[in-house]
Amino acid sequence: MASTTPSMFTNPVLKWVDARFPMTGMIKEHLTEYYAPKNFNFWYYFGSLALMVLVLQIVTGIFLTMNYKPDAAYAFGSVEYIMRDVDYGWLIRYMHSTGASMFFVVVYLHMCRGLLYGSYRKPRELLWIFGMLIYLCLMAEAFFGYLLPWGQMSFWGAQVIVNIFSAIPFIGPELAVWIRGDYSIGDATLNRFFAFHVVALPLVLIGLVAAHILALHEVGSNNPDGIEIKKNKDPKTGIPLDGIAFHPYYTVKDIVGVVVFLMIFTAIIFFMPEMGGYFLEYNNFVPADPLKTPAHIAPVWYFTPYYSILRAVPPMFGSQFPGVIAMGLSTMIFFALPWLDRGAVKSIRYRGNLYKSFFAMFIFCFIVLGYLGVKPTSVWGQFGDWASFMDTKEIATWGARLLTIGYFAFFFLMPWYTKADKTKPEPSRVTFGEKASPAISPMAAE
Amino acid sequence: MTLKKFFFALLAAVSVASMATTALAAGGPEVKFVGTTASRTDAESLQRGARLFVNHCLSCHSAQYMRYNKLVDLGLTEDQIKLNLMFTTDKIGETMKVAMTAKDAKEWFGAIPPDLSVMARSYTAAAIEGSSGSPPDVLAAYLRGFYQDDSRETGWNNMVSPNIAMPHVLTELSGVNKLVETVFKADGKELKTDHEAEAKAKAVFIAAQTMSSFEHHVDKKEGKVVNSYIVKTLNNVTPGLMTPQQFDIAMADLVNFMSYVAEPHKAKRIQIGIIMMFLLAFMLAAAIWLKKEFWKDIH
Repeated sequence: MASTTPSMFTNPVLKWVDARFPMTGMIKEHLTEYYAPKNFNFWYYFGSLALMVLVLQIVTGIFLTMNYKPDAAYAFGSVEYIMRDVDYGWLIRYMHSTGASMFFVVVYLHMCRGLLYGSYRKPRELLWIFGMLIYLCLMAEAFFGYLLPWGQMSFWGAQVIVNIFSAIPFIGPELAVWIRGDYSIGDATLNRFFAFHVVALPLVLIGLVAAHILALHEVGSNNPDGIEIKKNKDPKTGIPLDGIAFHPYYTVKDIVGVVVFLMIFTAIIFFMPEMGGYFLEYNNFVPADPLKTPAHIAPVWYFTPYYSILRAVPPMFGSQFPGVIAMGLSTMIFFALPWLDRGAVKSIRYRGNLYKSFFAMFIFCFIVLGYLGVKPTSVWGQFGDWASFMDTKEIATWGARLLTIGYFAFFFLMPWYTKADKTKPEPSRVTFGEKASPAISPMAAE
Repeated sequence: MTLKKFFFALLAAVSVASMATTALAAGGPEVKFVGTTASRTDAESLQRGARLFVNHCLSCHSAQYMRYNKLVDLGLTEDQIKLNLMFTTDKIGETMKVAMTAKDAKEWFGAIPPDLSVMARSYTAAAIEGSSGSPPDVLAAYLRGFYQDDSRETGWNNMVSPNIAMPHVLTELSGVNKLVETVFKADGKELKTDHEAEAKAKAVFIAAQTMSSFEHHVDKKEGKVVNSYIVKTLNNVTPGLMTPQQFDIAMADLVNFMSYVAEPHKAKRIQIGIIMMFLLAFMLAAAIWLKKEFWKDIH
């Protein structure tokens, strides 16, 4: 590339670099000559925001590592040391703890965008798969990181999650010991989780993010109309008619998104860093105590939809394994989306009511499952005595079972309802949502 | 349906579901926290709290992450701190350690008294899980909630944290409280139905001027379900050095100080936050202007 693309620089140093490194080529390919649809809306801020939060987490993480001690005897104290005695240590720590939760907020909204506009559909299947791998990696990263403050919730949350593996038939119990490096969560576990959290997973994450962006720039961005802008190119220049250069148009637009995000982020860090016990759980201000089990153990909010599914599935044949399978499946099923969806259109704008109903049900199930996951199963009370024949009288457990069915119905019935759905015709050129008048899409009816 | 309407409908559905949750939630004692709170910017309250803390708490508890010299935040000089607040050490940069060894503590109390450095951020979790109070509120309620109970080894029990190992170390100040328990049941006379019994109990609970709790018990007698509604309140039977009102304020001061100890940088944090918000508001205006300038020719 270095030899084929004429240098865009006049500065002799940059010219020298350009002759030896594809700088001009890369800037053009990924920024100034990457053409994105011009009709991106609110939902399209979250990709760049996710990237920014990743950088924020890495930078704050590096500074935290300078004073944190991955040792069961010192971990809790070293976090308090950071909070009190390290200059602005409290700020770095709050940025990192808030950043973790906000990463998931941003990623969930980013994924929701993908669902809304069918961004996982052909030709973006691999892009979606890379994204899902990032999501799984992020969950592992968050899980390992949560043990490090060595509070009660760190300890017991990790205990519960690692015990999930011991439900696997035959190899389970030994697998759990292998993961922990001990018979219960201990110093060995803390050390290896630290290694995964600060070295192994960040490396994988960065690699996956690079792959995600490269795949995106190969196939091009989807847009709220779910139509391909590459179908309508300027015959002379070969540039999509509905495309605009990522830089400067979307860089300046994303700056607005970044500032709005930073306002929310800043408000949390400086005014409510615990976020009512959801970002920093109250119980995690109690040092880990292997002899004192908290009455109610809940994972951090971003895991709770899956945790609810785990709890909802009753044990079968004396084993918790079916619940574990259901939970595993509930995260993995996203990978299959590109092949489950057989809709004639990609974007929810042109889907029929059938799809919209299923989609609304899915979002509802996901949120309420998440809510139930942070609460004890007694939260909705119990059924009366008439319910004695059932395995549990807890209303919330039955609620979670229904919601779990709803969750999976969205995926398993997708091949059927997306095909049976009465879709509207897609426009041939991108629109700006509400402002679009029917007059601009007469060709789409064909 | 447009996308916006669709999301509003979804939001409405979710909030209805979460409201149903509160309505359906049952069980557990409902505790009413009565007492004043103190402002974090009130230096005098913080200083009074510090005095209570070092005189009464530090004999058994440590605050091992808190340094004495940090207390200059409360408007004290280092000499004042040394003279009035330091009993276990003479090094101003030292942390608030406890003289008692862990082994002795275990022998005397059956449990090692927990470190208090971050107690004001965790107390909810430690005391009544699922309670709606913020940690400092629950901590204050706990400190006010001691009453005499001869069935306990220490002679004390607590409304907020039943059967806790800690004795009532502030008896000298508060005097002795006793628990008054009133049971409301449908008796066919004054309280005809369960509904009336519950309403009466709730009214007493709400009107109570001291720490109080409301509990709903369901028993089965000869196959019949018997509902009883129990209201517990505290009654000061032997006065201490302080009146109940003075003791209330003292506990507010103590918790105020403990909240400070739990997060000494909080005041600075909020200060910087306000500056940041102004800065970002300015940046937002600039960013919006920049975007508009660049996007002028995009239609």
